[in-house]
Amino acid sequence: MERLEVMKKELYRCIHCKACKFTYSGDPSRDGVGEHKGVLYEGMVPSCPSGLEYGWESFWNAGRMWIARCILEGDLEFSENVRDTIMQCITCGMCEVQCENKVPCVDIIESLRAACYFSGVPLIEKHELVSKFVVERNNPYGGDKDKRFEWVKENGLEEYLDKKGAKIAYYVGCTASYRQINIAVATCKIFKRLGIDFALVTKEVCCGSPFFRIGRTDISQDLMNTNLELFKKYEMVLFSCAGCYRTFTVDYPKWIKKELPFKTNHAFELISDMVKDGKIKFKENPELRGKVVTYHDPCHTGRHFFIDAQRKIIDESKNLIFDLRKINKWKEEWFEKPRIIIRALPGVKFKEMYRIHENSFCCGAGGGVRAGYPDFSLKTASLRLDEAEAVGADIMLTECPFCWRNLDDANTMFNHGIPVYGILELIDKYDLIAD
Amino acid sequence: MSYKKPDNKDLEAMIGIVGKNYATANDAICASYLSKSVMGLEAQIPDIVIRPKYPEEIRKILVYCSQEKIPVSPISGGLSGGFACPLIRPGGVVLDLSRMDRIIEIDTENRIAIIEPGVTLGQLWAYMHKHTPEYCPPIPDGAPPSSTVMGDAIDRGFSLVTSSMGPQGDIFMCAEVVIPRGDILYTGSWALPTAKPFYKYGIGPDLWSTLMGSQGTMGVITKVAIKIFPHPEHKTVVVWGMSNPQDMQNLTWQIGNQEFGIAHHCVMVQGGNYPLVMTRWPKEKVPHDYEFYKEIGFSKWWMNFEVWAQTQEELEYTEKRIDEFAKKFMESKECKDPKSIKKQELHPKQIASRLKKPNKIAIPYGYWEAGFLFITWYTPWKDCAEFAEMYTKVLEDHGIAPVMWIASVERCRQAICMPIICFDSTKQEDFEKVQEINRITTEYSIKRGWLNYRPDPYIHAPMMYSQAGTYLKYLREVKKMFDPNFIMHPGRLMLP
Repeated sequence: MERLEVMKKELYRCIHCKACKFTYSGDPSRDGVGEHKGVLYEGMVPSCPSGLEYGWESFWNAGRMWIARCILEGDLEFSENVRDTIMQCITCGMCEVQCENKVPCVDIIESLRAACYFSGVPLIEKHELVSKFVVERNNPYGGDKDKRFEWVKENGLEEYLDKKGAKIAYYVGCTASYRQINIAVATCKIFKRLGIDFALVTKEVCCGSPFFRIGRTDISQDLMNTNLELFKKYEMVLFSCAGCYRTFTVDYPKWIKKELPFKTNHAFELISDMVKDGKIKFKENPELRGKVVTYHDPCHTGRHFFIDAQRKIIDESKNLIFDLRKINKWKEEWFEKPRIIIRALPGVKFKEMYRIHENSFCCGAGGGVRAGYPDFSLKTASLRLDEAEAVGADIMLTECPFCWRNLDDANTMFNHGIPVYGILELIDKYDLIAD
Repeated sequence: MSYKKPDNKDLEAMIGIVGKNYATANDAICASYLSKSVMGLEAQIPDIVIRPKYPEEIRKILVYCSQEKIPVSPISGGLSGGFACPLIRPGGVVLDLSRMDRIIEIDTENRIAIIEPGVTLGQLWAYMHKHTPEYCPPIPDGAPPSSTVMGDAIDRGFSLVTSSMGPQGDIFMCAEVVIPRGDILYTGSWALPTAKPFYKYGIGPDLWSTLMGSQGTMGVITKVAIKIFPHPEHKTVVVWGMSNPQDMQNLTWQIGNQEFGIAHHCVMVQGGNYPLVMTRWPKEKVPHDYEFYKEIGFSKWWMNFEVWAQTQEELEYTEKRIDEFAKKFMESKECKDPKSIKKQELHPKQIASRLKKPNKIAIPYGYWEAGFLFITWYTPWKDCAEFAEMYTKVLEDHGIAPVMWIASVERCRQAICMPIICFDSTKQEDFEKVQEINRITTEYSIKRGWLNYRPDPYIHAPMMYSQAGTYLKYLREVKKMFDPNFIMHPGRLMLP
């Protein structure tokens, strides 16, 4: 409740205008790609997955902001009703980037969830289970903690386990360790091929992301402290998971109230910079020739980083009328990074979906929704794949194993016929780095 | 008048009408409909929310609620435009009309769109931009994209062609209205079952006007036919700046008073003062001194003339004539400060930004502190400067930024004057300050014969209606005719 109280003034900026109901809420005449499966991808398009799914005002962002306000004013008490409403938000942050009053919607939702839990309202059963797993096994999937790096041996990468002298660590994360092993393996192989001297830290624990999101901030802080102790000796920590990267880079400094003792970088940033500098060249693979490739911006590396950067620029600004251009410049450069890699791949055709960059539609996996509300989560992923269909995509790329998982599951379940790959995974699978 | 707080039996009755997925008394869901900002600071959490889809469902709901004396407040969209929370306890039933979102017909031959109440500005704009780009819907300028076309119009809002064509309420042609006594009323030419929606005043004395300007105090509008307008390719924005509101008022009147030609090409004529720019940012993050705004090109006061024309020649002619009027005005005795009158040169990006519709221009005033209120008054055009001077002084006296927006309605026949009160809604003392400002300015305005638009039910409405007793008496009779048990949106407009 204390964190919610701290944000009271920011929360009260919400005037219930509901501009956050729309993607591209400031771009009404944006030319789109026409209609596909009943959705008109032109101008403004409804934005919020949970609002679209459930319809009631409480499932759109503005309604949730007013629930928070009612709680603060004593007009509403925490209850299972409140929990069930606020938990079915993917915390994708689409609402936040539409807001002209810069209401920190995602932080407010997360604080509201924590306040709800600590008021005595239990988590939903599935969230209880992942919380139990992470406390016992250091990962929310229930995987054996001693088998976190089993994939290393199977792929001949043992030399990187706690490698001595390495100044760079690769934080693998739970999803790539227990579920999307392909992402972890591809990332290591590419690092190896590029001659990056890195270590895999065998004692790494869950980054805490799911628990920051669902309100178990006690658990997430314990995990954060363990990771900070483990990684403090490195100069840089690399990531292949958008959620882990976001948690280390955005959440940790917020909670410890100081800067991290190491730099953080996502693998795609590293590769993008190398492509830009001409240090990596790609070759064509005939299997990919002519394929239409599209890119899904993960919320955690896309929009959430933009929101964080924007907030920092605003905090430091003395005259925001002038500094607005700094925000726009940062945004353009940031969202271009993964695209630099994709545009450099010979033979494939890169085609953007309608909703991209900070207006990208979520995959549906975040905010504890995939664990807690899998049907809604997969339907959201299917909506994103519809959007890929609308531009004739053959392949969807992303840069987050969690997005990958949800999109790939929806692809199978709803027969979209669009395989999903991580960018690095595609590069590794099709051997695209030129010698 | 006493009302019943709905109970489980009433909820069951509602579920019986719309199905269990569309009626709820869930306290979190009900709380999420609350709003105390922008258009009014008083609101109650409803006891039941219903999301009907069909007029027949609404008819049954109204008949039931009328019988049980349960208050009903319909909402159709976002602020501004069709978002009206319950005002009295018990909150009663909120009808969330967002599921009624069909664009039924765009008839370019008769220049009509037929839509349901939940159709949002963004939705209709995107649809017409794609399918009939040569026409545009009469959406308001500045209202957020999730406000509804119907909601804005029923409140007589300010559309993108209001300065030329008249208030947004005038865009209605025909409507389908469910009234609490259990009828579905068709207005305008729709009163004849065989007629197209081509004539607003229908077959006799017009009932439609009694349903307007009320945010649903008489019935629930379930379908409307509204005018659409050509969307010409040639557009620009011409801005003239000055140091005071009198010069703004009088120069603008010169152009509006032409009535024909250039006055009609100026589809939107709106202006204000430099705090309109300043308060769109956090208070501590922008300079407050006028000198800064002067340096970046803003006059203390200015008027934007948004010009639409069918040809480039017409556009250039209009711009030339506006400039000529301005130059002539500078030389006239009427001009208070000729040296301050100057044309503001806009970058093409600034023009594009001002031409963008729907836009979010009215939203960021919450960013200055934490919340804001639009107070809107209609005055004769030639009174708008006096209104601006009076209101900005009262705001300054109360330590509030003197933000003023003024626009021409129907070629300077009226002015819509909107001070924006930017305040900190986390502080009770700020709420009290806002109410005091409201009282002082309302007292002054009513003496001057100015009319409040979308009146605050506790200050504007009582003060206005106390001066218009006979009108209120007949308004009550009209209300009784449609809504015998006064269940529709009680509290608003002093009704009951």
